[in-house]
Amino acid sequence: MAAVLGSMVGLGGGVFLVPIFTLFFAVDQKLAIGASAVAVVTNSVVGSSVHLRGRFTNIRLAMLLQGITAGGATVGALMAVHANERMLNIVFGSALLYASFSMARRPQASLPTAAEGTPDPLQLGAVYRDPAARRLVSYVPHRLRFGLAISSLAGVVSGMLGVGGGVIQVPAMNLLMRVPIKAAAGTASFMVGITAVATALVFYSDGKINPQVVVPSMIGIFLGSQIGSRLTRRIDAQRLSWIFVVILLYLGSSLLLTSVGVTLPGQQ
Amino acid sequence: MSDLNDPTPPPLAVTPTDDEPPARVTIQTAALDPIYDVAIRTVTWGFRSGAALLAIGIIVSLVQREPLGTVAEPFDEVAPSVLNGEAAGIIDLAILWMVSTPVVTVVMMIVGFFRLGDRRYALFSLVALAVLGISIGLALRR
Repeated sequence: MAAVLGSMVGLGGGVFLVPIFTLFFAVDQKLAIGASAVAVVTNSVVGSSVHLRGRFTNIRLAMLLQGITAGGATVGALMAVHANERMLNIVFGSALLYASFSMARRPQASLPTAAEGTPDPLQLGAVYRDPAARRLVSYVPHRLRFGLAISSLAGVVSGMLGVGGGVIQVPAMNLLMRVPIKAAAGTASFMVGITAVATALVFYSDGKINPQVVVPSMIGIFLGSQIGSRLTRRIDAQRLSWIFVVILLYLGSSLLLTSVGVTLPGQQ
Repeated sequence: MSDLNDPTPPPLAVTPTDDEPPARVTIQTAALDPIYDVAIRTVTWGFRSGAALLAIGIIVSLVQREPLGTVAEPFDEVAPSVLNGEAAGIIDLAILWMVSTPVVTVVMMIVGFFRLGDRRYALFSLVALAVLGISIGLALRR
């Protein structure tokens, strides 16, 4: 389920996996983060081939942002292995609520179309065919400085929480950089795998990768992300954004409530 | 680099027809086909071989009634464990294989960008790989 949702919205699944592990299965937070990082890598490896084939992934944009994102992830992961669980819940819950509100406040911009004269000094403009809208979509990412700044933040959050960073990067690319939601999801889906490698290896070096938690996650990811990345091509982009908003709102609130000792029904 | 300095995006213009993106952007995207192809091949085979290793590890674990480990073994202990036919070692190898797939993809993309003569993006990719090198170094020191 985490993989289906993660792959559909370019989040890698970790943003759903860690809260599900800690809220519903009482798994130790740091083992959940380590497992999530491996699952995020797996989800990206499985799902990104579909995004790459559809040209939803902007590989130039991904590589431009990846260095700073991976650097942030390494720093974040080193912080996380020494942080306490309550603090991680507060940071995680806040990150989820931020992402949820930012998407809800300003629904996805209409499909942008790059004109012949749109400035593109770094040759980041790209085109893909949107099967749902039945048209070619061309775009040129804007506000690259914001993109780089947000990517470093996304990297730190990714490293601290075992998510891929897509929870911050997808809204940022879509709303600030004017990248269409499907391209933002496809690019983030590819990037989160590389970012989560940094996190996974830091947790591996600290002995926080537990195969008893990782293996079930990987099996779920193998199955779920195949479904998710195929559904992305068929589901209306607006509906995709609202799925994202509702689930993140629930999980973010749950983690913040957990940090003050309140557990919702069905959670542990 | 004017775009980097401009905090306000220019208004989005619309092309005469929806199905006709600017030729420049279309050519730019098509030029990257070889890199897309190599990235697709790398992630596809990384996934297939990682999934196969995981499946073998789970089968061996079930046949030998060997429970899954609670901590992934350090790098230098994985190979001997695999050679001894231990499920835990095979599963650890599957995990490490999967984690290394994006790293290999970045390496392949660096090669691809260099082959296309796109040194700028080869360099950006190289920076990403160098940053990953820090966490790889930490993992190897364990």
